[in-house]
Amino acid sequence: MTPDDPSPAEPARLRAERVTLAYGDTVVSRGLDFAVPDHAVTAVIGPNGCGKSTLLRALGRLLRPAAGRVVLDGRPIRSVPPRDVARTVAVLPQSPQAPPGLAVADLVARGRHPHQSWYRQWSSGDREAVAHALELTGMLDCADRTLEQLSGGQRQRAWISMALAQETDLLLLDEPTTFLDLAHQIEVLDLVRELNERHGRTVVMVLHDLNLAARYAHRLVAMSRGAVRAEGTAEEVLTPELLAEVFGLRCAVVPDPVSGTPLVVPVSAHDTAPAHGAAATGGGSVRAGPADAPAG
Amino acid sequence: MSAPAPAPESARRRPAGAGLDRPALRIGAASWPWRPRAALVCLAVAVLLAAAFLRALVAFDSSDVGLSEVAAVLLGGGDFGQRFIVLELRMPRALTGALVGAALGLSGAILQSLARNPLASPDTLGIGWGAAIGAVTVIVFGGSAGGISGAVGQFGVPAGAIAGGLVAAFAVFGLSWRAGVHSNRLLLVGIAVSLTCANLVYWIITWTDLQSAARAQTWITGSLHAADWDRAGAAAVALAVIIPVALGANRTLGALGLGDDAALGLGVRVSAARLVLLTVSALLVCVATSAAGPINFVALAAPQIAMRLCRCAQPPPFTSMLLGGALTLVADQLAAGLFAPTQLPVGVFTAVLGAPFLMYLIVVRHREARL
Repeated sequence: MTPDDPSPAEPARLRAERVTLAYGDTVVSRGLDFAVPDHAVTAVIGPNGCGKSTLLRALGRLLRPAAGRVVLDGRPIRSVPPRDVARTVAVLPQSPQAPPGLAVADLVARGRHPHQSWYRQWSSGDREAVAHALELTGMLDCADRTLEQLSGGQRQRAWISMALAQETDLLLLDEPTTFLDLAHQIEVLDLVRELNERHGRTVVMVLHDLNLAARYAHRLVAMSRGAVRAEGTAEEVLTPELLAEVFGLRCAVVPDPVSGTPLVVPVSAHDTAPAHGAAATGGGSVRAGPADAPAG
Repeated sequence: MSAPAPAPESARRRPAGAGLDRPALRIGAASWPWRPRAALVCLAVAVLLAAAFLRALVAFDSSDVGLSEVAAVLLGGGDFGQRFIVLELRMPRALTGALVGAALGLSGAILQSLARNPLASPDTLGIGWGAAIGAVTVIVFGGSAGGISGAVGQFGVPAGAIAGGLVAAFAVFGLSWRAGVHSNRLLLVGIAVSLTCANLVYWIITWTDLQSAARAQTWITGSLHAADWDRAGAAAVALAVIIPVALGANRTLGALGLGDDAALGLGVRVSAARLVLLTVSALLVCVATSAAGPINFVALAAPQIAMRLCRCAQPPPFTSMLLGGALTLVADQLAAGLFAPTQLPVGVFTAVLGAPFLMYLIVVRHREARL
């Protein structure tokens, strides 16, 4: 897998500049800089409470930074009308709620909100966008079902369809694979990759599974205590040293036998020293990091 | 109204996506999604409302002014007595009933969507009783001029009701606000405010002199007997302004129904939209309350009944509005006619009519395992 790096000459369409993010008096991030790599799939990783979702919420205009600013296409996002933002950036929140009994087609139709007005509430363009979004996620056959009648994976795909119906170039997904079994996680992430490769969408997603992040994202961003600790390809970011620092996790990193991307193998307290015999090929040598490395 | 776009052939080719192939209903540049079932329900409710309105004009009291006489009066004929009965007695009452019910139905639909809870209504959120405090205060402290009629009655009571209702609405939403509205907290605070306001009203009535207490008691029973053109006209003017705003905000309710974050992501100015919708729904209740006193249950039941009939996930505002009007008119006719000459307050019958039907719908739909 070769990550297609965005050309560094062009400034990123969506970026956070020296943002301080806080909920009330609780500061999550201070003076954070982050640029969303264009036309790539970026995975944000980090331990619980490290500010991943908060950063995503700020980028999606769901959270107003206490200081600093988020810039979209060269303009401060707060000065762009919300409708225009919603036509450029779609956000899938971590735990979206739907009223009981809502049909999939109706949910996805709500994604057309930024394209509608009070008098033009449904057009042929809306219809096509909804149909297209459902087709992309393979949810056409479920269009008439209510969300309660769907499996977890289908429900997640229904929500992604809603974000797709917004027809935005940028897509921010907050833990799109939570509560899904492995097969459904793969299903959703395959879709994300397809959206990027076939339809040119820029995707930023918060993921907890490091191995899936390594496999599906072009770029990884590791966060810890509200700051970006490392940014780059999976090979650059997923090192035992960094994982020890960010997660406080002792682990070995070997090449994924299927994709060749880094595979993180945690070492628990009960395990003996990592198997030195498991010699890895190329640069993916087996290394174990110190368990008690300082996280800050 | 122009006809809906012809049913697409693709609907037949792709039966699985029937709900997806939703044609647009176009009127000039405006267009709405065409939902056959919702439109049919809406039409049926509109017919019911029209029938109830007509019946209110034809047979409401003991006088024998029947259909042909009413038709004659409406076309500009009839003798003086008939004109008086139809235009001065029956018409204002019917109009007030329809308007008040419509305002309550629409308000309930908005509040239930906003709170994301079917139990939210002006009754449970204390807005109705807040309006009642304002109105009763004016009635009691307005002295002899604060009667049901007169300048204070015409302007003071509605002003008092609007002030009281708005204060109650903002108090409830403000007190339950903790970085967002949690519907259970909202309902708890609402019920507390509602009970407090109700008891304050009764305290005012107990505390004041007999005459004022009697006037206030008549008013808070919630009845349409005293309806006249002053009240109907004032309510009509107020609602003519508020209702279009409320219906225009309908689209935003759909986005808000997905939670604050999702709504923000869809480009909704969530705080502003919620403020406008809350104010509008509180104003609707205040106008209704100042015209007819507190009428319970319509705002709770009409949106839920409309939602279940339309089989949609959120209360449809327009159909809820029509159904609220119809429910109130039918209830008023039962209240006036069933135990004649004793006139029961309309509020008694809104509950008697609405509750069993709502329960029936809930049970039936539950069996279908759709909700």
